[in-house]
Amino acid sequence: MTTRTKRTLATLVAMSLSFAGLAQAAPITTATPALIGTEQAAAAQSGRVLLEQTLARADVVAGLQARGVSVESARERVAALTDAEAAHVAAQIDQAPAGGDALGVILTIFVILLITDILGFTKVFPFTRTIR
Amino acid sequence: MGRLGATRRAPGSRVHLPRRAWLLGATASCLTGGCAVFAEPPQTVALALTPPARLPPRTELRDVPFFPQTPYHCGPAALATVLVHAGLSATPEQLADAVFLPARDGALQTEMLAAARRFGAMAVPLPPQLSALFTDIAAGHAVVVLQNLGLAWVPRWHYAVVVGYDLAARELVLRSGTTERELMGFTLFERTWARGSYWAFVALPPGSLPASAGEVDALQAAIGFERVAPPTQALRAYDSIVQRWPNNLLAGLGQGNARFAGGDLAGAAQAFERVATQHDSAAAWHNLAAVRLRAGDRAAAQLAAERALNRAQNAEPQWLSAATAMLAQTRARP
Repeated sequence: MTTRTKRTLATLVAMSLSFAGLAQAAPITTATPALIGTEQAAAAQSGRVLLEQTLARADVVAGLQARGVSVESARERVAALTDAEAAHVAAQIDQAPAGGDALGVILTIFVILLITDILGFTKVFPFTRTIR
Repeated sequence: MGRLGATRRAPGSRVHLPRRAWLLGATASCLTGGCAVFAEPPQTVALALTPPARLPPRTELRDVPFFPQTPYHCGPAALATVLVHAGLSATPEQLADAVFLPARDGALQTEMLAAARRFGAMAVPLPPQLSALFTDIAAGHAVVVLQNLGLAWVPRWHYAVVVGYDLAARELVLRSGTTERELMGFTLFERTWARGSYWAFVALPPGSLPASAGEVDALQAAIGFERVAPPTQALRAYDSIVQRWPNNLLAGLGQGNARFAGGDLAGAAQAFERVATQHDSAAAWHNLAAVRLRAGDRAAAQLAAERALNRAQNAEPQWLSAATAMLAQTRARP
């Protein structure tokens, strides 16, 4: 082997070793391992598995939209709910109390019919008697 | 036909109108819950027998703002009231976007809590006791309550804000509807409040907790808050829970997660290590391993991951796959 060849070979070996050394010193991981979230841990503690219930959340978004909420608002509102809350809203959206001061339509009709019974225009209730 | 207004008595006729009205009233009342509805409600009775100790006899928070409600918008009005009183920025119009459900002509309780956290508050439900209301008002916290002002079968749901109480006069002061100071006796209040299962909540900036809050309610509020709040705010919420209940595992885990999300690796590791050694929690060991790995300390990460797997195998099988995966990551060669 000529000196020139030896020198080239030595250079190549040295470069390879340096490269390998640099590679060893590089950062250990490129991706951060995911941490167990607090909501996830809480769900596990109660025996539930947190699936982020994507389908249930989509149901709630659709449910809100169907009941008059804008698309944007519906998404933002559901994003703020925990898994358990989203499931609850999905199940109870029509039955749960909705504070607003809407005087029940039923009560209004009741009162109206009572008055009309008494006035003699209807005969809905057995306990009423008309004034004439 | 007889004179105007006179009734014509046919044989076997029914009773006069005045008695009829009494019958109607009794029927309606009995339909709501039997003759028990005429009795005094239980908590009001108990309070009369045993007045709560260590409470000022009367308190009124006169600096609570007043947002007269617009039709069907008692929810946004009540929420704006307590958020502004807590030093946060919110208007009923902004809140209506977050809570009003047009088809129901009102706001759902769950959405009231979620909206409060979106506007920067920890919204914590209170224990279902009148005394809890008094305790928090005495501590300077206005309380949102759900009332059914109608009957059980024809409900009239309403949100109001309790801002004062008077034990001697047996009445509460509320911001309600378009009335700035609504005075309501304990008896009527408890009846309307009981129909909504005694639901009430306090909204406070993170770092503060209601005086009467229970541990579980506070923790659930913080977990919900963490979903939408910046990490520094979520951390304050968890800090306040750990301060009051130092043994709360999930709040400690929350501290670690919030610190990590905020970029404080050392702080996160410290929090997870504290919870892990205090409770031997697989989740805490797992997260400690993850943080150490991220910080570049592979050997320490492996130790934590081994503890996680150990615990998962012995007592917490739900974390077996996560712990196994984490251990593999700490052992993996680049």
